[in-house]
Amino acid sequence: MDNFGLMLLGMSCITFACRFLFFCKKLPFELGEKTTLALSYTAPSVLTAMWVPIVFLSYQHIEQSFFVSPFLIAGLLSIILSLKLKSTLLIVVISIMVFITLQLLY
Amino acid sequence: MLDITPVSKNTTNTANKRIMYQAFIDILPLAMAVIPWGILCGSLAIKVGLSAVQAQLMSLLVFAGAAQLASLTLIGAVGALSSIFSSTFVISSRHLLYSAVFREHVRESSMLTRCCMAFFLTDEMFAVSCAYLEKNKSFSHLYAISAGVVFYLIWNVATFIGIVAGQFIPNIENLGLEFAIAATFIAIVIPSIKRFSTLMSVLASGISVCVLSITGIEHALIIATCIGMATGFLTASKDKSNG
Repeated sequence: MDNFGLMLLGMSCITFACRFLFFCKKLPFELGEKTTLALSYTAPSVLTAMWVPIVFLSYQHIEQSFFVSPFLIAGLLSIILSLKLKSTLLIVVISIMVFITLQLLY
Repeated sequence: MLDITPVSKNTTNTANKRIMYQAFIDILPLAMAVIPWGILCGSLAIKVGLSAVQAQLMSLLVFAGAAQLASLTLIGAVGALSSIFSSTFVISSRHLLYSAVFREHVRESSMLTRCCMAFFLTDEMFAVSCAYLEKNKSFSHLYAISAGVVFYLIWNVATFIGIVAGQFIPNIENLGLEFAIAATFIAIVIPSIKRFSTLMSVLASGISVCVLSITGIEHALIIATCIGMATGFLTASKDKSNG
């Protein structure tokens, strides 16, 4: 990529700025109640917009039918586990093991 | 008198060591879960044509897994810089919330501490630091930064493994490493759904990202995130009646 330097600089600045903004001693504005409320939905929305396509749309890339895709089965399992278990690591480890087993089976 | 300073220094040192050890223990499981993702980032960077140094620099300087992965996909599809920057911003915008939450604990600290806190701020560091704050009723910069540094080191080692492995193992991106991301995000998102409006925002975001992706509309991630946020915001008034 020709513009790699520019891209790297831009991305580093954007990510750092988002993390640093509210650490400034003085801000030209205060966070209103509505802004704080809207911001509280950012994390669940953006994370969901990233995991949903992996779980539900990956079958297109691996040439398997929707219902038997390891991504779908293991993904649904991790949703169920997240409702039952408290340990994040346990949820992730069990889901990945099931995912790998399913992939080996096919 | 002479003894007092060394003794108190030792006590502080021991206490600090204990905090750093605790941070290490707490962040380790989350850091382990991020390894497949780091490997994917490293190998994908090589695949879309970055050099090994460039690929490592990305993890060293940007240090944002989701944003890195999204931008690599865009580079692969010969996306413009503007779309790389806009997706980086949308994906990173959740960190605005994290830094807003930490603001009261961090704003009076030195410039160096604030810069370190910002640089090492990730979903995982935020999660363990909040848990520490809740448990101990006091915020520890040492704890947060230690957890962040451990996560940073493991993320970069994983990227390095990906860079090396990507050159020797063909089709490493077809092994399904991205499933680890999905599992991690599910494990973060699902337990965080405690309000009706959060549930609505998650459903709206998930359904719209599928519809947008299937219809091949550009910036599906950005649009879906905005739809999810708007839905949460608009249904917030229903929270009380629904508990």
